[in-house]
Amino acid sequence: MAATTPTPGPLAAFGRYGLFCGDVARSFAGGRWGLAEFWEQASTVTVRCLLPVTITAMPFGAVIAFQGMAILDMFTAQRMLSSMLALFMVRELAPVIASVLVAAQAGSSFAAELGAMRIKEELDATEVMSVDPVGWHVVPRVLAMTAVVPLLTILADGCGIFGGWLVAVGMHGQPHGVFMAHLAEVLSPFDLFASTLKGLVYGLMIGTLACWKGFGASGGAEGVGRAVNDTVVLSVMFVLVVNYLLSSLLFGGLV
Amino acid sequence: MNAVATVGLLVQRTGACGLFFFDCLRSTARNGVRWDRVMEEASKVGFRSFFVLATMAIFVGTNLAIQGSAAFATLGAKSLVGMFVALGGVREVCPLLAGTMVAAKAGTEMTAQLAVMRTKDQIDALEVMGVDPRAELITPPLLAILITLPALTMISVAIALASAVLVAVFQLGLDYGQFMDWLIRNITVFDLAAAMIKSVCFAFVIAIVSGYFGFFSERGPAGVGRATNRAVVTMCIVSITLNFFLTTVLYG
Repeated sequence: MAATTPTPGPLAAFGRYGLFCGDVARSFAGGRWGLAEFWEQASTVTVRCLLPVTITAMPFGAVIAFQGMAILDMFTAQRMLSSMLALFMVRELAPVIASVLVAAQAGSSFAAELGAMRIKEELDATEVMSVDPVGWHVVPRVLAMTAVVPLLTILADGCGIFGGWLVAVGMHGQPHGVFMAHLAEVLSPFDLFASTLKGLVYGLMIGTLACWKGFGASGGAEGVGRAVNDTVVLSVMFVLVVNYLLSSLLFGGLV
Repeated sequence: MNAVATVGLLVQRTGACGLFFFDCLRSTARNGVRWDRVMEEASKVGFRSFFVLATMAIFVGTNLAIQGSAAFATLGAKSLVGMFVALGGVREVCPLLAGTMVAAKAGTEMTAQLAVMRTKDQIDALEVMGVDPRAELITPPLLAILITLPALTMISVAIALASAVLVAVFQLGLDYGQFMDWLIRNITVFDLAAAMIKSVCFAFVIAIVSGYFGFFSERGPAGVGRATNRAVVTMCIVSITLNFFLTTVLYG
């Protein structure tokens, strides 16, 4: 498997990532995975990411409201603030914030757990016992990530808008009614759907990337550190690149 | 009970980080700075983070342009996209992007390295040999990140703005002259200085947090993984929260 071969080029690495995803899909389709493990992983991811997502999404919304207020003041169009805030938060920022934080928190811990299992030869032991390690350890984690990130995206939507509300209504004294009235003006149900869809795609991506890196770790404690490091960097990079493509696809521009 | 324990842990960790920082300062004052090591680390941090950061800056710039145009088209003012890109990019997104990227790349590498040294008893060995491990292992990367992060921020600003211009003109079909006019007019020297100030603050956070978690990591492969994991999350949360306060202070 991936663990035995050294890393030649980025293209080959990309190919091996694809092969790994194929393995995951095969184990998933073959039903060689446990639902109980999925629930456990999903609840772990949710519990561990809830606080980080909440406390990072709020300052983001606050900053948008803060800078947006300054721009809109010039045109005396302060009432547009909440619709702008909702648009940026829901379409763009919430999925990215949620997935970057999940990558940093849960993705890196997946890589660390699986990497430590690989180094301690626990994964090989599973294989010797003729239990499919991909199905047993990887599929529940990937599924958990795919299920949880969209939910956390919705949470980030809400927290970001609340952060903006704190600045607009709390600091700048905008009437609560004005803020609320314009909140859903530009936003459509499609935007919420797109936001959740983005979260789903990023969750799947981060889950497979983290498990791939952890599963293929080699070279002792350094290897685990490297796997964690690579997971975070690759996840953030993939999220930003795919975000551009998805934004272009979903909100016009390209099509 | 759980919440109280969490807050307690948070306060304890903050205090420990502060103490760690002062320990580093003291041992540096006593032992002097090894500038050759600082330069070596700086070139490593700068070079390793550069390509990742450049890729990300490109895509952040494109997204700024697309979302700016989507938002301002509904307000009937497509010309404002240039201003949006300038204000959003220079003031907020690029300093945070560079900070997060250096945290994810150089910061976690530093944590993992220190944690491995801790696991292999190399830090203890240094201490036994009478070498102060803080002056030797923490100070050079700290200074290196302090030097490189503002530079990387400026580079990412340039790349993001360039890619935003390309997308605005070629993908969204905006007028080049008008876009550039709004873009240039809304970037002041103060904005650039504020971005530098922000990135220096982020650099401090990144270096101290990643140094702290690596230096005091548990032993073994699982310990290395856990230390790296905790360091990334802490750096992300602290930088983003700090960004809000810096924005309030600088532009309030």
